[in-house]
Amino acid sequence: MLKIRNLHASIKGTEILKGLSLEVNAGEVHAIMGPNGSGKSTLAQVIAGHVDYEVTSGSVTYQGKDLLDLAPEMRAREGIFLGFQYPVEIPGVNNTYLLKAALNAKRKHLGLPEVDAYEFMKLIREKMKLMEMDPSFLKRGVNEGFSGGEKKRNEILQMALLEPTLAVLDETDSGLDIDALKVVANGVNTLRSPERGIILVTHYQRLLDYIEPDHVHVLSGGRIIRSGDKSLAHDLEERGYDWLSEAVSA
Amino acid sequence: MSTEFSAETELRSAVERLPANSLKPLRQSALTGFLKTGFPGVKQEDWRYTNLQAAVTLSQRWLSADRGSIKKLPDSAASVLQQLQEQIEADWIVVASGQAFLDGSTISDADISVRLLSTDPQAAEQINTADPLSSFNAALMTDGLVIRIASNSVIKRPVAILLFDDSDTAAALSNARIVIDAGVNSSCQLLEIHRSHGAAEQFSNTVSQVNLQAGSTVALTRIQDREAHHLHTGRVAARIGADASFNITSIDIGGALIRNDVAIDLAEAGADVTMNGLYLASDNQHIDNHTRVDHRVGPSTSSEEYRGLLNGNARCVFNGKAVVHIGADGSDAQQSNHNLLMSDKAEIDTKPELEIYADEVKCSHGATVGQLDPVSLFYLRSRGLDKDQATRILTSAFATKIIEESPVAAAHDYLQQRSKACLERIIAGDSK
Repeated sequence: MLKIRNLHASIKGTEILKGLSLEVNAGEVHAIMGPNGSGKSTLAQVIAGHVDYEVTSGSVTYQGKDLLDLAPEMRAREGIFLGFQYPVEIPGVNNTYLLKAALNAKRKHLGLPEVDAYEFMKLIREKMKLMEMDPSFLKRGVNEGFSGGEKKRNEILQMALLEPTLAVLDETDSGLDIDALKVVANGVNTLRSPERGIILVTHYQRLLDYIEPDHVHVLSGGRIIRSGDKSLAHDLEERGYDWLSEAVSA
Repeated sequence: MSTEFSAETELRSAVERLPANSLKPLRQSALTGFLKTGFPGVKQEDWRYTNLQAAVTLSQRWLSADRGSIKKLPDSAASVLQQLQEQIEADWIVVASGQAFLDGSTISDADISVRLLSTDPQAAEQINTADPLSSFNAALMTDGLVIRIASNSVIKRPVAILLFDDSDTAAALSNARIVIDAGVNSSCQLLEIHRSHGAAEQFSNTVSQVNLQAGSTVALTRIQDREAHHLHTGRVAARIGADASFNITSIDIGGALIRNDVAIDLAEAGADVTMNGLYLASDNQHIDNHTRVDHRVGPSTSSEEYRGLLNGNARCVFNGKAVVHIGADGSDAQQSNHNLLMSDKAEIDTKPELEIYADEVKCSHGATVGQLDPVSLFYLRSRGLDKDQATRILTSAFATKIIEESPVAAAHDYLQQRSKACLERIIAGDSK
């Protein structure tokens, strides 16, 4: 589904990703772990198409297409979803409006009829139940005045609505208390299916207690220095990142 | 130094020719006052960014052409009025070519009195001629419109004034004067809708003066929506009495050269004003908003937020002055001005000015100038919205706040619709 080959990417002239390779197949959940500054968020942003990041070499193909050729909105419509580490507050733009516009942009792209207001409300209420969110939040501005936890729930709600083929969740667990973490994990697990790929970018092992990954990768210095199964995450939890970085540089 | 005015003789005879009503002495003294100063010029600090030369030249030509006043409401005004009546639930009065037409008024509330200035000597006595444009206006006013709200009355339906100018067949110059007096403990909502029509040039110079008696609440929302080649100067001057509260919301989405002045006098304890504004400018539009609030006694409060969105070669000016006078202790003055520049050729000059001569005063101001937030743009695009759609959503969200905060709720849909249409034009200009 997603093939990343020897990816180099920089922002404002500073190279962050230095030859990263990764392959995600349908049905798999991959966890990308690593210390701060290792390039985890950069990887998420590059997959989603953030314009500030420049890909200097390497390739990313998604379902056989050159992903780097697509504008961010086309990637979204083709089924890629990025759950933001810091979801943006957009006062004056109503949540319902954004959710409906996003869903219809995708449906239109896929040649499906747009959903009307009635169908949409039915659909979104169902998804909000899953995320244990109060319906009143639909009337609010996008993320406006939301707590950290509410913002993250809102990201997963958007994901649940858009039903992406490939979801990249950037530090979705940060800033969540244990109850919110469970709700968010439940939202992600509900979406797990043989047709979908999920990439979890996380600093801590905690999230992986609730969402079990098929593969765990450790990112350091802009490339993947170790890959393994979920037991790797436990090792990291016990021993920290240093032993790996040392092992690599040794 | 002022802008050269070389049509003194023509101006004198134009003033002479106006209808011989009780306003004659008032016009004469305003004329004398105006001739002492002439039009303001760019060497005056308050006018350094806005050159009125085009309006002065137009006025001179108009005066030399010896045009009279109109006798009946033009058809063009009547048809605009009809459209507006379908869109906004309000009572209506039309001021066309600077002249009030009371016969078409739909006001039936017994607590609202509507008269011509020439029949209201008390209002005529208080005509404001404190600045050159107000003097010019008073010298050339055919007649003014006086609206009085009875004490202790709560007016539910907004009173909407359509200020309309037609330059279909010839150039037009107009000087509308509106006097509003809100009685003790009364409350009302007012709308000023500025529209124009006609291929020929025109310059409208309007003055609205509002008196808020003790305990009254008045909201005045003003939308200047004139055609793209027309010139306009508009002043709103308000005196706010004890525990009275005024909201003035100014929206500018039309015109070529626009200068608005808002002058607020917080005259008694507990006086409060909210001054909000929105200007959407593109191409070669020039929109200048000057506001001044005088806190004369304390405690009194003022809060102000102006927002502007500029594209093309637009040039806008924001100057917000707050003066807290000696003894106005405990006053609170808040001000902000936020601008979005969509083009590197657009220019905004923003200047907050605070003069504080009292103690225990809370004052703040802040101005920002920037582009659309790239993170918000990316966020929306990452949800599948294309760049144009994301831009439209973000610009409209930026503008919406000012409209939504206008207390004249009956006009919200109309204001949203007009400003959205204007934003569409402005953003389309971006891709040219």
